[in-house]
Amino acid sequence: MTLLDFARGPAMQIAIIIFVVGIVWRLVGVWALPKKKDLSEPRQKGAWVGGLKGLFVHAWPYKPFVPKVGAQYIIGYIIHLGLFIVLIFGTPHMLFFADIVGFTWWTLPGGVITAVAVVTTLALFVALIRRLVNPVHRLISNFDDYATWFVTTAPFVTGLMTTMNMWPDYETGLAIHLLSVWLLLIYFPFGKLMHSFWFVVSRYTTGSRFARRGGMA
Amino acid sequence: MSDTSVTEIELDYESKRLSVRKPEERFDVQGDMSDDERVEKAMVNFAKDFGRVAATYMEACIHCGACAHACPFYEASGDPRHTPIWKLEPFKQAYKREAGPLAFMYKTLNLKPKVTVDELKDWQELLYDTCTLCGRCTLICPMSIDIATLVGMARHGMFHAGLVPHELYTVTEKAQKEGSPLGATPSVFEDRIEWMGDEHEVEMNVNEDQADVLVLMSSIEIQKYPESMAATAKILNHMGKSWTFRTDGYEATNFGMLSGNTGWQKDMSMKVISTAEKIGAKVVILPECGHAYQAMRWQGANMYGKPLPFEVQHISEFLASAVESGDLKLKTVNKSVAFHDPCQVSRRGGATPAPRKVLEALGVELREAESGGNLNFCCGGGGGVITIHRADTLRYKIMANKFRQLDATGAEMMVTSCSNCRQNFDESGEKLNWGKDMNSLLELVAENLVEEGKR
Amino acid sequence: MKEHDLTLGEELRRQGISRRSFLKFCAGVASSMAIPAAMVPAMAESLAQARRQPAIMMAYQECTGCLESLTRSFAPTVENLIFNFISLDFQHALQAASGDQAVDAIKTSMKENWGKYLLLVDGSIPLNDDGIYSVSHGQSHLDSLRELAEGAAAIVSIGTCASYGGIGAASPNPTGAVGVDQIITDKPILNVPGCPPMPEVMTGVYTSFLAFGALPEVDSLKRPKAFFGDTIHDRCYRRTFYDQGKFADSFDDEGARNGWCLYKLGCKGPITHNACATLKFNEGVSWPIQSGHGCIGCSEPNFWDKEGFYKPLSAGQWGSAEGIAAAAAAGVALGAASAVMSRRNQNKISGGK
Repeated sequence: MTLLDFARGPAMQIAIIIFVVGIVWRLVGVWALPKKKDLSEPRQKGAWVGGLKGLFVHAWPYKPFVPKVGAQYIIGYIIHLGLFIVLIFGTPHMLFFADIVGFTWWTLPGGVITAVAVVTTLALFVALIRRLVNPVHRLISNFDDYATWFVTTAPFVTGLMTTMNMWPDYETGLAIHLLSVWLLLIYFPFGKLMHSFWFVVSRYTTGSRFARRGGMA
Repeated sequence: MSDTSVTEIELDYESKRLSVRKPEERFDVQGDMSDDERVEKAMVNFAKDFGRVAATYMEACIHCGACAHACPFYEASGDPRHTPIWKLEPFKQAYKREAGPLAFMYKTLNLKPKVTVDELKDWQELLYDTCTLCGRCTLICPMSIDIATLVGMARHGMFHAGLVPHELYTVTEKAQKEGSPLGATPSVFEDRIEWMGDEHEVEMNVNEDQADVLVLMSSIEIQKYPESMAATAKILNHMGKSWTFRTDGYEATNFGMLSGNTGWQKDMSMKVISTAEKIGAKVVILPECGHAYQAMRWQGANMYGKPLPFEVQHISEFLASAVESGDLKLKTVNKSVAFHDPCQVSRRGGATPAPRKVLEALGVELREAESGGNLNFCCGGGGGVITIHRADTLRYKIMANKFRQLDATGAEMMVTSCSNCRQNFDESGEKLNWGKDMNSLLELVAENLVEEGKR
Repeated sequence: MKEHDLTLGEELRRQGISRRSFLKFCAGVASSMAIPAAMVPAMAESLAQARRQPAIMMAYQECTGCLESLTRSFAPTVENLIFNFISLDFQHALQAASGDQAVDAIKTSMKENWGKYLLLVDGSIPLNDDGIYSVSHGQSHLDSLRELAEGAAAIVSIGTCASYGGIGAASPNPTGAVGVDQIITDKPILNVPGCPPMPEVMTGVYTSFLAFGALPEVDSLKRPKAFFGDTIHDRCYRRTFYDQGKFADSFDDEGARNGWCLYKLGCKGPITHNACATLKFNEGVSWPIQSGHGCIGCSEPNFWDKEGFYKPLSAGQWGSAEGIAAAAAAGVALGAASAVMSRRNQNKISGGK
């Protein structure tokens, strides 16, 4: 069995199993914790509307915060959108999903995907440098932050190296690229990458809690 | 613990706030437990709060550090340790190790070591001295994490581990024993009501058996701003309400909540609740006090264990509904006003529109400060911080920022509806030569009643 | 037997091949094998001095496709002559002899050329049940290979079967077929995979063996680097369409007619190392991708078992939906268990309060 066969077969299956088990485990593990009912008289009805609103209001900082964290948000958006574009609109990636979902969709030219991936990778490095240099970031960062950065950046770097033919051969490159993605999937449930789920839960929680009170969150 | 070298203002430890002098010798550790016992106690009381909501928040943090930029303490100090989420580190660590879905992994592999007593001691400053529970960090958080609520929870463990800052512990204990944190015992309260009644020639209702409205007062008002009592009485009399002060349930502040003792918080709330039940009150009016609103309006029912049998209103809400319904007619005040929103009433309480309605009825020109209203910058004195002397350095710095923002509005008059904010403004204003007074919304209304409306 | 004593140079002269065309041939081989141009005269000199090379070609579990490919001939060329210069002492499909007579030819050649002959192997070798699944003249191919390998100077595995087991080794591999190098480990072995392999590769390999007396430089899969160093994708004339994101979505769509990249149709070019894209087949007439079909990766190990030929390369082996559902169920169980543990732990550490 070659490295690529391993990457495309058993490694992928193991990674997906861990990915699914871990995510469900962690979500259920929190949802099954006790929750006390808030007995206070709500100021207004429809807390769930506030919860839904809460999902969106924090997508961009409130005006007084923009000068302080606007740049950080932009970097964040570049990383998230870049990840999304490359993942969904890269032809090889689309074909990967098409194999699962059974239909194909429009994709972007390889050159565009490469450019987006380069920009995203640069943004990831900016984020890393910021984490290493900014005193606040440095203090609050732990292993998870750096591990998350690594498993997120690795697929970009290996993917770029594969498209740009920087490996001894494409086959090994593709295998390493795939393995780096499986590493991401395996790490996903155990670190802060889980924020792709928690952001919904957390924003909804705060949104609905403050909707019944009024005020702002 | 705090670094005093950063201040430009000379510290005056002798000044008296909330009648707590700077202690000769600090006792920031209470009781004579062993270190292990302290950690155990902290864990026990941390663990009680690890429910779904707290868990969600602690899982969600992505360590982006944005919260630092919303925090008045970080903005004033630039100290990364004042990053709001960092203040929760031991609490988070305990959660991950003891209660999270992956707890057994963290525990078996010791990825998150047990919290130590030294860590807890180090975090006392972060959980008490540098957090007013103002909740501004939630606004900036991309994950909407309610850090203030979590800090409130973390204080439970700290209290039971006997790790509360000296002054805050002292006032809390006093409140629990005497019924008031500042020596406003029932007899002192009664005396001062009488004094104010005489001074302002207002009829005071004390200890009525039955009344529709139970009026609470905060110790700060009883001791430092007693005019509030007269103002409230004047307005309620003017409206012809059936109301009363009660010496068995008058203290609105709740230091049990601020210091982190849920048992005492419940005792303090229950005093008011049972008094209100006894006299058949339909409404309980909370005075101009921020955290009192949080304690009774939003946590009262949860302490009581069922919905409250009466309505709870902050005085600004009461006034707003009175002017809206036309029960209260006010003279026009031809002044420009800047309003300082108390965090617990506005942002975290939801009563933000109320004072604005009242100010509109007063016909003033309201000038909102930069980052005002719900986005208001905290005065830096809430959450019990004002009692702690070693927190003064930063508190003044925060206040200096606050003064700049309010001065920038060019308003002639400064108004707020929290006596704790007010005393912080007054005390700091003197220290920093602000040259302005912070006024009470309640008193401003009482001074401008249209008399012919009297029935 | 007189010809056996002639050198290649003498033989070529006898056939009327000018030195000029011989040098031209050498230059061609050198360039295809990435041998520096400066070495061409030395290579030609050495080649001219070479003597007839005895070779034994054995066909094991195979289909004769490789031989078809290698023996195609359209015109008498230098290549043909070079091939003719091999003293092919045994090749069962080409020789007239059969039975004991044929086997004797092997024995004779082995004895005469012990330690010098080149062993060319075609087809995989079954290992299961002592190799009983593939037998010639009462001898299993496994034994045959071991016997012949002992006296060989070097072994060339021709085709994917001899190199890696090929179709014989495809799942479930009932005969336990393997390639030569999994049996013989103490001889220089060269793999020339492909189904079929490219004849030019054999020319190059053979020429270089004659000229330098050794097998050319190989990669980790024992393939001559000169021919297998690049992937089909690297050298493909349709590569530009890949880079532009222009793909054929089916074999009869606009993209296919425009000759766009066949990646989406399962082309294995990116992971296939071979020289098809540059040398082409049938004397440079065409090759699979040029004819509109994606590369099936025939020169790679296990190419039969990499799911379908039409499945895009980036598609993984997804596993089963049941497996994922089971994983989700396991997650629910673990999550619930952890929450129960956590509640219990909370009760314990908070003393049930």
